[in-house]
Amino acid sequence: MARLGEATAPVAPRNAIARARLRASLVPDLLVEARRITNTVIAGWHGRRRRGVGENFWQFRPYVEGETMARIDWRRSARDDHIYVRDLEWEAAHTVWLWADPSPSMLYKSQLGNVSKESRALVLILALAELLSRSGERIAWPGLTDPFSSRNGAERLAARLHHAERFTARPGLAPVSRYSDIVVASDFLDPVEETVAWLDPLAERGVRAHLIEVADPAEETFPYSGRTEFLDPETGVRLTAGRAETLSQDYRRLYAARRDELATWCGRLGWSYTVSRTDRLASETLVKVHMAMTVNAAQGGGR
Amino acid sequence: MSFLPLSFGFPAILLGLAALPVIWWLLRLTPPKPRSEIFPPLAILARVMRKEETPRRSPWWLTLLRLVMAALVILALAEPVLNPREAAPARGGGLALVVDNGWASAPDWEVRVATAGRLIADAADKPVLLAFTAEKPNAEIGPFDAAEAQRRLAAASPRPVPTDRPAVFARVAQALQAVPDAAVAVLSDGLAADGDEDAFATLLSGNAASLLWIAPDDLSAIGISDGRNLADAFSFTAIRPQADAAPRQAVAAALDDRGRRIAETTVAFGAGESEAEGLFRVPFELRNDFSVVVIDGESHAAATRLLDENARRRRVGLISQAEAGAAQPLLSPLYYIRRALEPFSDLIEPASTDLAEAIPQILEQRPAIVVLADVGTLPASARERLIDWLEGGGTLVRFAGPRLAAAGNDEELLPVRLRIGERALGGALSWTEPQPVTEFPPAGPFADLAAPVEVTVSRQVLAEPTADIVERTWAALADGTPLVTGASRGDGTLVLFHVSPEATWSSLPISGTFVEMLRRLVQLSSNQGRIDANGGATGAALAPYRMIGADGTLTAPGPDARPLLPGAVPAVTLENPPGFYGGEEGMVAHNLLAPDAVLAPLAQPQTALPVARAAYAFDEAVDLKGPLVAAALALMALDTLAVLWMGGAFSRRLRPSRAASGAANGAASGAAMLVLAGAIVVGLADPLAAQEAETADEEAIAAITRTRIAYVLTGDGAIDSLSRAGLQGLSRFLADKTALEPGEPASIDIESDELAFYPLIYWPVDAEAAMPSEAALARVDAYMREGGTVLFDTRDRYAPTLDGSASPSTGRLRDMLAAMNVPPLEPVPADHVLTKTFYIMPEFPGRYAGGPLWVEASLDAANPENRPVRTGDGVTPIMITANDFAGAWATDSSGSPLLPTVPADPMQRVYAFRAGVNIMMYVLTGNYKSDQVHVPILLERLGQ
Repeated sequence: MARLGEATAPVAPRNAIARARLRASLVPDLLVEARRITNTVIAGWHGRRRRGVGENFWQFRPYVEGETMARIDWRRSARDDHIYVRDLEWEAAHTVWLWADPSPSMLYKSQLGNVSKESRALVLILALAELLSRSGERIAWPGLTDPFSSRNGAERLAARLHHAERFTARPGLAPVSRYSDIVVASDFLDPVEETVAWLDPLAERGVRAHLIEVADPAEETFPYSGRTEFLDPETGVRLTAGRAETLSQDYRRLYAARRDELATWCGRLGWSYTVSRTDRLASETLVKVHMAMTVNAAQGGGR
Repeated sequence: MSFLPLSFGFPAILLGLAALPVIWWLLRLTPPKPRSEIFPPLAILARVMRKEETPRRSPWWLTLLRLVMAALVILALAEPVLNPREAAPARGGGLALVVDNGWASAPDWEVRVATAGRLIADAADKPVLLAFTAEKPNAEIGPFDAAEAQRRLAAASPRPVPTDRPAVFARVAQALQAVPDAAVAVLSDGLAADGDEDAFATLLSGNAASLLWIAPDDLSAIGISDGRNLADAFSFTAIRPQADAAPRQAVAAALDDRGRRIAETTVAFGAGESEAEGLFRVPFELRNDFSVVVIDGESHAAATRLLDENARRRRVGLISQAEAGAAQPLLSPLYYIRRALEPFSDLIEPASTDLAEAIPQILEQRPAIVVLADVGTLPASARERLIDWLEGGGTLVRFAGPRLAAAGNDEELLPVRLRIGERALGGALSWTEPQPVTEFPPAGPFADLAAPVEVTVSRQVLAEPTADIVERTWAALADGTPLVTGASRGDGTLVLFHVSPEATWSSLPISGTFVEMLRRLVQLSSNQGRIDANGGATGAALAPYRMIGADGTLTAPGPDARPLLPGAVPAVTLENPPGFYGGEEGMVAHNLLAPDAVLAPLAQPQTALPVARAAYAFDEAVDLKGPLVAAALALMALDTLAVLWMGGAFSRRLRPSRAASGAANGAASGAAMLVLAGAIVVGLADPLAAQEAETADEEAIAAITRTRIAYVLTGDGAIDSLSRAGLQGLSRFLADKTALEPGEPASIDIESDELAFYPLIYWPVDAEAAMPSEAALARVDAYMREGGTVLFDTRDRYAPTLDGSASPSTGRLRDMLAAMNVPPLEPVPADHVLTKTFYIMPEFPGRYAGGPLWVEASLDAANPENRPVRTGDGVTPIMITANDFAGAWATDSSGSPLLPTVPADPMQRVYAFRAGVNIMMYVLTGNYKSDQVHVPILLERLGQ
């Protein structure tokens, strides 16, 4: 049997420059892909459906005494005896932090998956960036950018990623402020305690997080059998299993337990936890995450 | 490897076995190289892995398996052969094969043929001379090509005759001149014969290039060279080859002329003895039935000894001078002798009473015994011949009598000197008493007989007392005077009974002892020479009658057998094979071995030619390469399975296979499927049958769990659905109005479904539907006969016909009923029980009104009595209507009718339903209501 999995990038781990160069060549493609899948979602993007500060027309409503005159739509008011105020749809600038795990383990891609985990994570993040930018949200990459609002936010983010020279494995989350959202795309293969310890401060600050677990099918189903040597791409540790198939049941249980634990933890905090398998379409995940964000936004009330 | 008959085609390859330890070392040291996989969630896997102890090395049994596999492959490559063939003879310009096929080669003929066949096969395309030493002298000997030689070899068979090497070898030597430089192979039977040395010299002096000498390893044939019927036993001589020196025992059996085994004995050869005597100690009469003596377990002609008359019953010549006529047989001197001897000997009586002719006639028959009953003086010529015969071994038994007493002494023909005259005891003028016989002297032949103490002797001839009188006395009277005396003359025996052969002088002839004594004498005697079976008719040839086959059994004579010419005993040849000659009347045995035969071993001839020795053997060479390779392959398959098992292919075979599991998984599950499929195929037939039966049972149970009204499927969907709707409507009506709650209407196929479950079958007759088959109509007929009711509905009450003839449906109904036993019918009379079973119904309308309902005519229809209802046992098996009941009953699920009634009268539908209820009640309860109508009257009579 041929090898099931491969590391998509034949680069030495921790070689930041090479990684960045590779990422640079990757990002434009991903951007195109991200645009494509965004378009599948954007049709269902209907703004905040509330009046508020924004750019788009929402409604005309009769002028109420005390309101600022500047908002009277004179053109409309001229048509009859009433005075109308032009309401715009609320487009409060919401800050969404986006982060895709850049660790070497994300470079993994098995024969069962269509793309590498990193590719999938970046596509999702960039797609979200595109989505959020179009709806006027502010996006940011922890450790890389400050929150910014731009029509071409995804491109700008991509450009920044392109030129980024080093990534920290776990960026500091201190800049992530209260009431902002953060989308974390990772494989979450580190021990749950570490992940929780890393993200827990966010919860304390009232940040809403959306965790996207990018999983390769091979990691989930463990389709190995026979004598197999397993190599950890992050640490380089090797493990040899005499009969890999005997491990699969226990492994799958632990793997699922890890996912359950994280998902339960997220659910308790009101966060969303979405699994994106690389053998499935990215847009599925995008729709789910988008739903989670909008639903939560709606529940969140008029912040 | 010397302890195994094993040889190798390429022994050098066996050196490869030395590499086994290296292979072992490699197998032990290098575990199978693992597949390397990048696996990000290694931390999780590591937690699992802690539990498993990965075998760093292959398990020892797997190593052993592979070592054995390697060893097998190496062995197979060395081309081992089990029981390798002996080396082929020196290849010359040809092959001369001389095969002994005499009697001694019969037991192991197959192995000889196999050996010869191998030699011919080795000779390949060279010319082959194939000669058999016991064939006819003109038998073709070749040269042949190998295929022809094989055919001839296959056709050859052992012969029950001795070999004739000189003649055959001479022919082979002659033929060898055409085949220069030939290898001579002699497949001998190991027995020497006359002229062997010269024969071999002739054979090997010619063109022979080399000699291959094949002789049997051990000669163990036992032959019977002689058989004699002695006084108290049958004796035969068994001989064996002189080379066979070990002590040996063999079982011999005597068969009668039908092949029944009547006696058995053991013959034992001492160490170094090549001849042994066997004895059948069985009664004389039984011995006389001996026809063949065989040695058990020896399947060759020499182990079968044929016995003809000469070895069996003694011939006894009876001579007397008395002319006792048939009128007084008891006074004939030979009467008692004849009666005594008849059971166990052949009696010969002369044609002439003239002693000068009679005695030579008797002696020509070479009798064992001649009895002279009261014969006095013999003619000189006859006397000479008699004395010759006697001294040649005959037994002459003389009885005293008046003539003998008068004849005077005769030194040569009397055992003792006699006093002239006779002695009378107990006469009227004598004081002496008749003398009894005393115990038989122990020295005589009668010693073991019980003395006939009841016998008394009143007259006798007296012997002169001489010095040797006691020795010669075989029986004596109480006073010591000899009664029977005997003496030997030459090889013969002379016996004199001092009393007459009839009961005048003594009561001896009428005692049982007399028979015993004569019998003993007969046993002591032996036939003096052979006679031809044709008796006196000398010169006639004896036709072959029963021949000894090569395997020692008696067979019909073969085509080569020629009649046996009388005179000198001919040699045993193919023309005169051993066996019985003659016919049922008399047979002469022609035996294979002469009495003086010895079985001498055949020495290997001295020759200057290169000599190779070989042994007879089947070609048992087994090429072990194939089995070894097969075993290695089997081990390889086993190894593969083991690796698959260790690789975990089987532990997941029941889970859904994943694409990544790949071929290993597929193969494993394939194997499992194969096993499963086998198991399924084995048990396939029964479950299917059982399933069918179950289905039928389920249907039957469903049919009888509730009362169901059935309707016949016509094949027309509209009619069928209408029938169904009609019966459903009727069922609902029944459930509403009566205690009967029928189940769903059952649709039945009149051709195949079981009818017996349904009380009523509604049959809408449709002219368009196919005519039911004869078998189906017969089933309906049977159903009706056994209590079912069929309601035929032609639905053609208002069907227009131009000429008033029957409508098509009615015509079809008539056609169907023509094939059934339909009782006489009548429209339901006003007093029929059908009009009263639930509702009082004067008529039975359906969708149409006015049509009559036909039922079986009541028996007493012609005898109307004044009764409220006609009695009648049983239910009419048939009802016929034209009113289309189903059409009237048919309702949809909400209960509203589907079809209008004609005429459109709402009450008509109600009446139609009531008609259905009445019919159903009638069918279910029979004549119950006809009895119920009497209840009020009965109650009234009871004074209630």
